[in-house]
Amino acid sequence: MLYVQLIADGVVTGCAIGLVAVSFAYFYATTGIFHVAHAGIYTLCGYIAWYLTGLGIPFILALIASILCGALVGMFVQVTLYQTLENKGASPLVKLIASIGVLTTLQNIVAIFFTPNIVQFDLPWRLNSLTIGGVWFSVPQILILLSSVGLFAAVVLFSKYSKLGKRIRAVASNPGLAEITHLNPQRVFVYVIAISSGLVAVPGVLVGVDQALQPYTSLIILLTAVIAMIAGGIGSLGGAFVMSIVLAVIQSLSVAFVSGRWSIAVVFAIFVLFILIRPEGLVRRKFSRAI
Amino acid sequence: MTLTGTLRALFAGTMMVAASGWAMAADGELVLGALLPLTGPAAPIGIEEQQGVQFAIDQVNAKGGLNGVPVRIVFDDSQGKPDQAVLAFNRMADLQDVPAMITAFSSISLAIAPLATRRELLVVNPAAQTDKLENASPYLLNTIPLVKDEAQVLAKYATANIGKNAAIVYENAAAGIDGRDDFKKYFEAAGGKILAEEPVEFGQTNYRSSLLKVASVKPDFVYIAITQSHETMADQVGQVPGFPVAIGNTFSRPFFGYASTEGWYQTAIQSGYPDDATLEAFKTQFDAEDMGFFAREYFNATNIIIEAARLVTKDGASLTGTTLRDAIFKIKDFNSPIADIRFDTNTASRPVEIQQYKGKERKVITTSTASSAQ
Repeated sequence: MLYVQLIADGVVTGCAIGLVAVSFAYFYATTGIFHVAHAGIYTLCGYIAWYLTGLGIPFILALIASILCGALVGMFVQVTLYQTLENKGASPLVKLIASIGVLTTLQNIVAIFFTPNIVQFDLPWRLNSLTIGGVWFSVPQILILLSSVGLFAAVVLFSKYSKLGKRIRAVASNPGLAEITHLNPQRVFVYVIAISSGLVAVPGVLVGVDQALQPYTSLIILLTAVIAMIAGGIGSLGGAFVMSIVLAVIQSLSVAFVSGRWSIAVVFAIFVLFILIRPEGLVRRKFSRAI
Repeated sequence: MTLTGTLRALFAGTMMVAASGWAMAADGELVLGALLPLTGPAAPIGIEEQQGVQFAIDQVNAKGGLNGVPVRIVFDDSQGKPDQAVLAFNRMADLQDVPAMITAFSSISLAIAPLATRRELLVVNPAAQTDKLENASPYLLNTIPLVKDEAQVLAKYATANIGKNAAIVYENAAAGIDGRDDFKKYFEAAGGKILAEEPVEFGQTNYRSSLLKVASVKPDFVYIAITQSHETMADQVGQVPGFPVAIGNTFSRPFFGYASTEGWYQTAIQSGYPDDATLEAFKTQFDAEDMGFFAREYFNATNIIIEAARLVTKDGASLTGTTLRDAIFKIKDFNSPIADIRFDTNTASRPVEIQQYKGKERKVITTSTASSAQ
């Protein structure tokens, strides 16, 4: 039963990381910007929801508000930073460094304006649980599971069938051509970061409800998400989501066999081996930013 | 510059450095340093510690300072990182010329201990408990017993009263590792057996897999040695069916008050409250509901340095790390409503309580010292 419970916990964690990976991959595949500040938006959204629920605002409204705030912050970063750097001909490395700067700023803003403490939501229902076939889930874990799968499916459908989704894919496939055909890539980038940042708010809030909020730990979540994105095949949203779950299950299950201190090392070692065997990732695509 | 000019400049510099020890009083104030984690994951504790130090300094100044000389405290941020702590130590030693410094966290205190020895600067540690602090520097004084002292008392009690099969969950950092090693050493010496050991990382908030693993080996109890995120672990313990009773040391204090931790045990360094007027003044100054453990300990430790400084100035000596340290050993007993502290060695001797969480109270089961637990 220990193994089943560890796998179940890993699946839930993987779904949360999967949504981070998918949202990160969506923006990266479209813009080519290694948006590390995504982790800062993840943190910020969690604290916004925590603050609002502390004021007595219903959780669902706090969640919606944090999604909107995440989208607005993302758009602000795109318009004021990435677009400016793009106009000045900055290299991807410069954009990455700028993004790290935004991440650090966001983490410190959270610590200063909210609290540097590890905090928990004051929501009595978060400790309720459900047992399915002998496997135990907390209510927030169930919410993480359902929302992650649902939002992942929604992003895929949006990308494939909506007008904006097709436009985003066109820009991602060939930014130069998109410019000539008046698809206005810079505006599309703003839409994409708004979608990505709004999406990442969901695990940012729900993981905080399930466990706790901490201003400085989101980077390790993003790192795992990035590994999942690469292992899943850059450009494949499905690959990123599936690999997030696989890596999280391996990490969770490994605790049963080796000391917990080795669990992250096990995941990274498996990633290195996997990428040596299959450098293009789980889903075979060309090494492009196409989605 | 000629050779003569260089020698003159060196001589002048040397004289300035030599004079700096007594320059503090001549400047019209005594400057002390506090090197605390004011940002980063440990900031909540660091800020509480900062309040304790600042409050002590404000109280001293409100009563006329050090024999009429105002006392000023300079805070610097270690960020909870040893490398930043070393830089901050040098800043305070070079730019502020402090004779004494208050520190926090084992890794920080260990990192600056060699610098304290080299520069003969007194470092007072009121909270870090790793055993390595015992002999880290002749200039490092600990006002709190170390992990091994508490582990010794706890292991003896656990084997006699709770069970002989244990699992350990420990923070993978200095204090947690010491906690694990010390408890294991004394517990096994008393006939106990460790069935599993699981590390958790500083700043971690998901403990489920570690808790599931230790519960699966079915120990009589779990020894938990973590320094933060107790509330999160307490919640997750409640989500593991049949999780055994747990025990811990002073840092387990935040586990109290949860349904999932009812019946748990912890050791506690006896730490009382100041008188009502002082307590109210603290609450008013910092708009706080309580004067927490760290605030009290840092308040008390700052007062110990001030008391030593009074003795040094009374004897007419200059205020240096060496004279302050010698004064502390000369005074030896520092009794206050917060604690009765005795310095026979660099580490204070204080009574250790075994407490059990029973409803709304931490019931004191027994009190002893490490030496009596042998």
